[in-house]
Amino acid sequence: MLTMQELTKTYRTELVQTHALSNFNLQVEEGDFVAVTGPSGSGKTTFLNIAGLLETFDQGTYNLDGENVRGLSDKARSRLRNEKIGFIFQSFNLIPDLDLFDNVDVPLRYRGFNSAERKRRIERCLELVGLANRMKHLPSQLSGGQQQRVAIARALAGEPRFLLADEPTGNLDSKMAHSVMELLKDINDRGTTIVMVTHDPLLAQQAKRNIYVKDGKVSELPSLTTAAIFTAQAVNAD
Amino acid sequence: MQAFSCLEIGPIFRALSRNKVSALLIALQIAVTLCIVVNAVHILLERRAQMARDSGIDEANSFYISSTGFAADFNQQVTIQTDLDAIRALPGVKDAMQINAIPISGGGWSMGLQTQPGTEFDGVGTAVYMVDEHVLQTLDLELIAGQPFQDTDIRWRQGTQRDWPAQTIVTKALAENLFPDAQYQDVVGKTVYINDDEPILIQGIVDKLQAPWVGWNRVENAMLSPEKTLFSTSTYIIRTEPGRLDELMPKVEQLLADSNKGRVVRGMRSMNETRERSYRRDQAMIKVLSTVMITLTLVTALGIVGLASFSVNRRRKQIGTRRALGASQGSILRYFMLENFIISSVGVLLGALLSLGLNVVLVESLGLTRLHWYLLPIGMLALCLVGLLAVLGPAKRAAAISPAMATRTV
Repeated sequence: MLTMQELTKTYRTELVQTHALSNFNLQVEEGDFVAVTGPSGSGKTTFLNIAGLLETFDQGTYNLDGENVRGLSDKARSRLRNEKIGFIFQSFNLIPDLDLFDNVDVPLRYRGFNSAERKRRIERCLELVGLANRMKHLPSQLSGGQQQRVAIARALAGEPRFLLADEPTGNLDSKMAHSVMELLKDINDRGTTIVMVTHDPLLAQQAKRNIYVKDGKVSELPSLTTAAIFTAQAVNAD
Repeated sequence: MQAFSCLEIGPIFRALSRNKVSALLIALQIAVTLCIVVNAVHILLERRAQMARDSGIDEANSFYISSTGFAADFNQQVTIQTDLDAIRALPGVKDAMQINAIPISGGGWSMGLQTQPGTEFDGVGTAVYMVDEHVLQTLDLELIAGQPFQDTDIRWRQGTQRDWPAQTIVTKALAENLFPDAQYQDVVGKTVYINDDEPILIQGIVDKLQAPWVGWNRVENAMLSPEKTLFSTSTYIIRTEPGRLDELMPKVEQLLADSNKGRVVRGMRSMNETRERSYRRDQAMIKVLSTVMITLTLVTALGIVGLASFSVNRRRKQIGTRRALGASQGSILRYFMLENFIISSVGVLLGALLSLGLNVVLVESLGLTRLHWYLLPIGMLALCLVGLLAVLGPAKRAAAISPAMATRTV
């Protein structure tokens, strides 16, 4: 589903070179639910950006659903993002001037579906996240948890092969976070591959598989004990 | 279908309607700009058309000069004849004559001609040019019907004399004004009346000769009266061979000054300069209107650039999110261009109504003509294009925003 081999990404300014990822290797199988954790500055967001085709990388190979994405044009990358990846952001990233219907509609328009097909998908996805009765509401009229559900509906509307979630519960209280997490698990149970970047080791434990990123490299973090150690590290790092 | 669904007209319109103040202000600015620009262009075209009218005479090769006698023994009649003989004999002079008023110069004579005698009838206003048998050649007129003046037709007119010669030649426009139902050729031989009941026979028709007053609505009405004047000042109009005007103007001035010391020679001016002076106000108005139009359009364009730039900066994260959700750079560019096009469309539609309203006011209060129908669609299209050009820069900057902006926390 997603294979990264020897991936390298370096940010350069006039004075400093930062190796965000170096020799980064990861394989995610179809139907997996992978949580990526790690301290601040470890390269989680860079990994997420590259996995989501939001950024390019310097060296290595990255195959997404069997397609080598290296050297693809902006247009081809945009099409791949639209067709294969659903994004869920920490701060939801809903468009404040658009109601829920139009927000979920955004990626579907870029796909070029006709209006009947778009309407069917929007209604089905808002139904799935329990907000079908609030389609004409603006994001500002919803709670944080509800907004993240709309963002999940938006991510699912294009029926992507996998979801990329960036701290999906980071801006939510624990009750809302739990409900969003349950929704993600439910989506994964239906067959959608999920890669979730998070600070929260307890949340990460609910995923099928944990990846720990440090200094731009990957190591697996299988047990809760190690997670607790990581929590201590994360707290220290912050 | 795919391209159409990408256009996002509905969502853009709905988003604008929820956040409408700044968009409405720009639309209003576009509307006012269109209204002023369209009406200014209309006035400008009208003025230009007025300025481009042919006076009928060979302006490029004509000039005039005046002579005023002051000596006790100054003989006006002899001087005029001597002057004209001498001027006409100069190499390069095509012809010359005495005239009482200069076409398009701003000052002259007018009379009313009527087709029936009696004080109860209204006359048709016309400029009067007192000329001799050299008139056709000097003023470059074409006699399109009837007979020219002969030297025997020309009389001398005293300063106090009130009566008129028995015949006249009129412009085609005057003939048609006097006899609207007749062909101009048939007007030759008809009698008209001056000073209510003094008959004058129309013996000829010339193609075109404008009156001295360029702003007059009957500027094409002129009559030629076969007479030389014995007024205190004599004005000669001289037509030269093509290209010899500059050479002959000082020569004629010198000739007149040298030939008779009992007079002053003054007021020499080319017809080109006369035209320039007569239309100076119109020229100034054209400049002012053009400046206003250009400034206003620039201010509007800058307003659009400002709004679009502000809107792009405010929505950097949103743009990144759209890119993450699958928008190509082209889609983002198209989004901003389309958003501007919607604002511009509202502006130009409102502006079209305002333009028509302002035109009605101008027609009623200033006697302007109705707006040419084609100015509105051209103006609307032009302002939409200005809008699209103005938004192109900010839209390109928006398209260049990285999709990774979506995951940034600030």
